[in-house]
This record gives sequence, C-alpha cells and structure tokens, in this order.
Amino acid sequence: MGNDNSNEPIISCRDVNKWFGNFHVLKDVNLEVQPQEVVVIIGPSGSGKSTFIRCINRLEEHQEGQIIVDGIELSHDVRNIAAIRSEIGMVFQQFNLFPHLTVMQNVSLAPRYVRRQPRRNAEESALQLLARVGIPEQAHKYPGQLSGGQQQRVAIARALAMQPKIMLFDEPTSALDPEMIKEVLDVMKELAQSGMTMLVVTHEMGFAREVADRIVLFDEGRIVEMGTPEHFFTNPQHERTKLFLSQIL
Amino acid sequence: MSGRTPEIYVAPTEAPPSRRPPVTSIGPLGWVRANLFSSPANSIATVITLALVIWFIVSFLSWSIRSAQWGVVYNNLRLIGSGLYDRREIWRVELSTGILVLLTGLSLGIWARVARAAFVAVLVTLGIILLVPILAARIPQPTIHTLIEPRKSPSDFVFVGYKGETVRFTLTPQTDLADLDEPAIGFIEMQARAEWSTQARQARAGDLDLAAYNLVVSLRLVDKTGRTVSTPDGPAEVRFGPDAPGGELEATLPADGWYVLKVTRDDEANGERDDNEGYAWLRIDGVELFSSQEGQTATREAEFGAPPQVERPLYAEEKAYRFEGTRTFGEFINLQIAPFFERIAMPLALGAALFANGWVIGVLGKRERVVRRWTLIGWLVATPVILIILRGFGGSRALPLVSTSVWGGLLLTMLLTIVGITASFPLGVALALGRRSDLPVIKWTCTLFIETIRGVPLITILFMAKLIVPFFWSGLSNIDLTIRMMIGLTLFSAAYLAENVRGGLQIIPYGQIEAARALGLNPFLTTTFIVLPQALRAVIPAIVGQFISLFKDTSLVAVVGLFELVGIVDTIVSGQPIYRPYQREAYFFIAIVYFVISYAMSDVSRRLETSGAGSLRQ
Repeated sequence: MGNDNSNEPIISCRDVNKWFGNFHVLKDVNLEVQPQEVVVIIGPSGSGKSTFIRCINRLEEHQEGQIIVDGIELSHDVRNIAAIRSEIGMVFQQFNLFPHLTVMQNVSLAPRYVRRQPRRNAEESALQLLARVGIPEQAHKYPGQLSGGQQQRVAIARALAMQPKIMLFDEPTSALDPEMIKEVLDVMKELAQSGMTMLVVTHEMGFAREVADRIVLFDEGRIVEMGTPEHFFTNPQHERTKLFLSQIL
Repeated sequence: MSGRTPEIYVAPTEAPPSRRPPVTSIGPLGWVRANLFSSPANSIATVITLALVIWFIVSFLSWSIRSAQWGVVYNNLRLIGSGLYDRREIWRVELSTGILVLLTGLSLGIWARVARAAFVAVLVTLGIILLVPILAARIPQPTIHTLIEPRKSPSDFVFVGYKGETVRFTLTPQTDLADLDEPAIGFIEMQARAEWSTQARQARAGDLDLAAYNLVVSLRLVDKTGRTVSTPDGPAEVRFGPDAPGGELEATLPADGWYVLKVTRDDEANGERDDNEGYAWLRIDGVELFSSQEGQTATREAEFGAPPQVERPLYAEEKAYRFEGTRTFGEFINLQIAPFFERIAMPLALGAALFANGWVIGVLGKRERVVRRWTLIGWLVATPVILIILRGFGGSRALPLVSTSVWGGLLLTMLLTIVGITASFPLGVALALGRRSDLPVIKWTCTLFIETIRGVPLITILFMAKLIVPFFWSGLSNIDLTIRMMIGLTLFSAAYLAENVRGGLQIIPYGQIEAARALGLNPFLTTTFIVLPQALRAVIPAIVGQFISLFKDTSLVAVVGLFELVGIVDTIVSGQPIYRPYQREAYFFIAIVYFVISYAMSDVSRRLETSGAGSLRQ
C-alpha cells in the first residue's frame, strides 16, 4: 500500500549493543524490517526484546551500532529524535494513558500540540480512530472508567493519531484479563491487514502464527532464530527455540 | 447432614434476586451502632466527647448572648475592613473587592461545579443576615436602667421617638437591703456600678440608713421645643416619693422627633441639695437605641435636626445600655446582632449578587471554553490591577496616591494572601521542577534556596525584609514596607510549595513521561500537559494547606508594624479606651473571620479533588 521503494527496509539495525551499567542487554542485534511487514518478537522475560523495541524510538539509547528508521539514523541530535518519534507509534504493556485527560483528549493531544492541527480537525480524526478501534461512544469518559481492553484500544488509537509509519507493541495484552485479550488482538489484526509496519513483542502465539510475516526469538540479548511462522512452529532449528516453544505451547 | 456439599452442583440459570440488608446494619440506627456504640470503650468515648462538646458550646453561647459586648466589632467595622485607608477613596477598596468576588464566583462555577451546596449556603446565610434587622424591629425594645442617687444631679434622658409609639418610665425606690445585694440590671456607666457597690457596702455596714428614705423625683416628658407632651390622662408628668409611691409614666408619642425626659430631684428643685436620702432605679421601656457612631447619629440628625440641648444629657444610645448583668436573647439580637448585620447587609448583598452572577455565568456559560479562558486571564490580571487601583499614582487626580502604609485590616490580610498565592505558586512550581532538573547548577541553586528558606522562621524573614535587606542595597529601602512583606511571604511560601509540588512530581509513573515522549511531545509539552496537571492535582490538599498557612501567617506582619487584621484589632483595643475591656470579643471575632476563610479554602480544595474534571479516580 503506497510505499514506492518497498525494497528499502524501513527499520534497519546493525550490530546494536546496549548495556545497563555492566549488564550487556543487547548483543550485536541485526534486524531489518520491510515496510508493511509484521514482525513478532518472542522470547523469555529478561531476554532484551522490550529493550530492543524501545531503542527503536529511543526511549532507550543504544551505545554501539546503528539504528536507521525511515532513512534517519538515531543519534544524540534532539531534532532527529523528535522526527523519528513522530514516525513511530508505541503501545505499552501498562497502556500508559493519561488519566487526567478524557479519551478524546488523550487521542487528540499530540496531533494538536505536536502537529499543530486545529482542535476541530484533531477531534474529528480522533473520533474516526476511536470508531476504528470500536469505542466511539467512550470519547468523553476518562481512562479510569474503561475496562483494560478498552484502555488498550484507546492507547492504540492514540498512537495512530500521529499517523505513524511504524507501530511498536510492547506486550500489549500481558496486563489484560483473558476475556479482553481478543478485542485488542482483533484491532491489531485489522491494523496489520491495513498494511501497517508493526513490531510486536508478545506471548500470544496464536496471533504470531496468524498475523506475523516473520517471528524473531530473543534470548540473552541476542537473536537466536528468525523465520516465517511456518518455519517456527513446524521446523524450529535452534535448541533454545525448541525449548522455548515446548514451554509455552 | 443436609448441609453436606454434593459432589456436583449446578446453580439454577436465574441468579437469586438481591435482598435488602438487615435493618440493624443500615440507616441511622445502624450507623449509630456501628460508629458510636460499637464497644464499651467506644461508648464511653462517645459520651465523654459529646459532654465536652456540649459543655463548650453552651458556655460559649451563654457568654456571647448574655454578656459579651460586640460593639467593639460592629463599631469598628471600617477599621477592621480596610484599616486607615483614605475614607474618600474607599470606592477603590469596594471596586477591588467586587472584582475579586466576581472572579471567585466565576471560578467556583467553572471548576467546582458541585459547589451548588456552597452556593445555596451563601444565599441562605445572606437571607438570614438580611432578615435579622427586619426581625429585630419586631422584638421589644430593650429596657434601660439608670440609677438616681443622693447628692448627684440626675441626667435628662434624650431619645428619638416615632408617632404612635408608647414609652414607659418606671421609678422603683431602693428601700430594701436585699435588693442591694443583687443589682442584676444594667448601668449607665462603669463608675455607676462602682459607686453602687460602695453604697451597698455602706448600707450593709450600717453607715447608710435606708429607712431614712425620703427621695422625691419628678419626671416630665417634653418634646424638642420644651412643651410637655400631653396624654389622655393629662400632661405627661409624674412625681415619685414617699408621699406619692410607685406608679409609672406612660405616654403615646404624638409625632416623630426628639424627646427629653426631664428628671428632677425634689431637694434640688428646692435648692436644698443634700437633703434627700436613698436610691431609685429609673426604668425606661419602648425607646429605640441608636449607635453612638457617627453614621447613625448623623442619620438621625439629618432626619430630625440636632438633638435638644440639655445640661446633663443621657442619650438613648447603646452606651446607655452597657450590661454588667445578664441579658435576654431578644436584647442580644436587638443590640448586638442587628446593628452588626445592618452594617454588613448592604455590602454583603452586593457582594453576593456579584458572586452569584459570576457563579451563574460560570455554570451556565454557553461558551465554556471562552469563559474559562477569560476567567484565567482575569485572575492573572486582577492582582496587579487591584494593587494599582488601591495604590494609585502620585499627582494623579482620578487615582491619587494612597500610601500602602495606611492599608490595613482584612483588606491588607487578603492582599498579602492573594499576592502571596499568585506569586508563590508559579515560583514554587519552578523551584520544584528546578530541583529535579538534570542540570546540576540549576538543581543546586534551587535546593540551596529551598533549604535556606525552610531553615529560617518566617518572622526572621520578615524582619530581614524590613531591616537588613536595605543595608545590602539602599535602593530597596525605597520599596514600601508592605511590598517588602509581600515579597518575604512569597519567598517563604514558595519554598514550602516547591517541596509539596516535588512530592507530586515523584508520584507520576515514569510510563506517563515515556508515553508522552513516544507521542513526540517535547519536554516542555510533557511537563505542561502530562506531568504538572497530574502532579498538582495529587497534592492539592498539601498546596491548599500551604495557602491556608500563608493566609494565617500574614498575621505575623503585625509584628513588623503593619495593620492587617491582627494589627488593627490590636490598635483598636489599645488605642480606644472604651474598647479596652472588650479584647476577648475583638479577638474572637477575627478568629471567626480567619476560620471562615480558611475553611472555605479547604472546602473548595476538597471539592476540586473529587470533582469530575480530571479526577484521578482509577
């Protein structure tokens, strides 16, 4: 859908290394993501998968290697960071909605003050996005009045409001009651079908199998195995992958 | 046996209907049981506490109704209100107050919509205040007692009467020693009581022969021109004495205007001055008292002309009615409450009208966003505008300079508070953000400032602002003392606010900042729209607590020589000898003023905390 040079990767990570103090979190991570691709990242907790996607919009800084997003390399330059963040939407495990703002304000805040859209336009598109994630009637409630699933859908709408080229999902369903996981995954599926480039850290193997173009397994800060869902679920190669899948399936 | 759990249980499809809880666990009875008498210890605590509270309330009410003299308050309302502010320029105080009241009404309407109850409370209070003077007119006029003594010329009683009113004068000879023990009635002057006690002691000691009573007194009621008023029974005059015992003089007044009750002792009239022995009480009923303050006396003089000239006048003013004994509730309303409410009714009615106006606009305003924006701008602009209106300019004709040194009373207290709040709030927020800054120099500077100010008593800061600061830079001594006090209070309050706000900043989860950043908000937008609104809301109680402290701390400027509420009351009770005995009443009154304003502030804060817009209910 509409990207001219679809051979160019939209995200390109080369030999990315990161430390928390002396702890080596990311070890020589190499990953390229094509436009409209859906990449699902799995792995045990503490394996560095969340840290990795947080590096992509520079919520964490990497110390070595290169991350290039849509042709811009992440560096200390503040303007770079702002430009890249407005290209990337992010959805968090804990939703991180702004509790003092209504759903409408949550969704329209960034377009109004970062993109400088007039209030009217911002609110109109916010309503459309809320309709897209299935909760247009909740626009004037506060996040605290919504269920977890509804909150996460608002968070998705909020990220989409900046019209990002890439969406990062950091365990979007881990904090939800089982009854609500499906409604969030459905929204994510719809998003994937619409051609959004997505990086999803998740434990939902059903989602990975059904939606992912590629699955990446992280362990101890490095990529252990990468491949299509068929490859992963029918013919895993690495011992670690086999062990991991045997534990969660 | 029947209670045994079956191996398999499937609930019926229909859930059972919800039933009401047992009566003893709900309703007022349940509440009392659960909260007041839940255990023997609780019951004892309840009874003792209630007894203490009731004892306190009863003794206070009994004091304030039966014997307190509130004249020190209602006769000095102007001083208490605005200090020595130039009387001809008082409209500037009124305008400023009006602006603030309107803004307050607007803000409450907009931001604390649940304040409907507060609004109703204001209206009800106002209604009571307006009603009291009206009701007071229906309560019988108080009785005045004045003592007629030997070897002392009695005063003539001067009063204003209205057509158709009935006045009654009764003379009671004091011939019984038992009566002397308990003069539970009013006196004219303080020294009269002292003298009475002396006479009583003499009588008890046998130096005074009450049996030798031969006091003869004539009463004659005349109008302003000196003509004796006529009654259906003839001219209004009567003579009391052993030969003409008891009785009373009653007259229905023929016209509005001044009247004089001529009181003459017989021996005096005959030129034998020291002849009569004995005492008598003259009791006066049905006469309306007026305040001895310039306002009411002037009104009466404008209406009826100057009072008639008599040699020893005793005016029907409230001073004639200074109680040493007990007083009835009607007399309390008539003499203590009604004059007070009469004086504040008009300004209060105007104030309430403005407040209500603002409130209604705030609540019903169609273009909420516009109203809200203008109210905010109004608050930002109001403080400097009011300071300019009140101070004026040297050489200006429309707004001549009124030196801040004559500002005083509640006006000064409120100005110090409002300036302190509006200036220390942004400063405190800035300091709090500065203390959490990543830049070490800013962080250290803010920390040093906060800790220094917090380590020094406020009174020291105020004295420094008064005495020491001009030493460092002589230019500062040109700044008004009042302004320097405002600066001192602001710095002090800002340091404490900064710590409160910092507490709020610390509870914001880091995820909020990450989410804002991930959306592309820069640090300024993140702080303005995400961090501060949540942090400030979380610490509203602490912030308002600091504001209330600031409001009460303004009383310390009295120590450096400004006449705010405490300072002015100090001046009143020490500078006006007639009010010296009534310090209790005066200080009690300002205590109430402080309490009412503080309580209103904390009430608004509680409403803001729980009001819908952006509450943190999760």
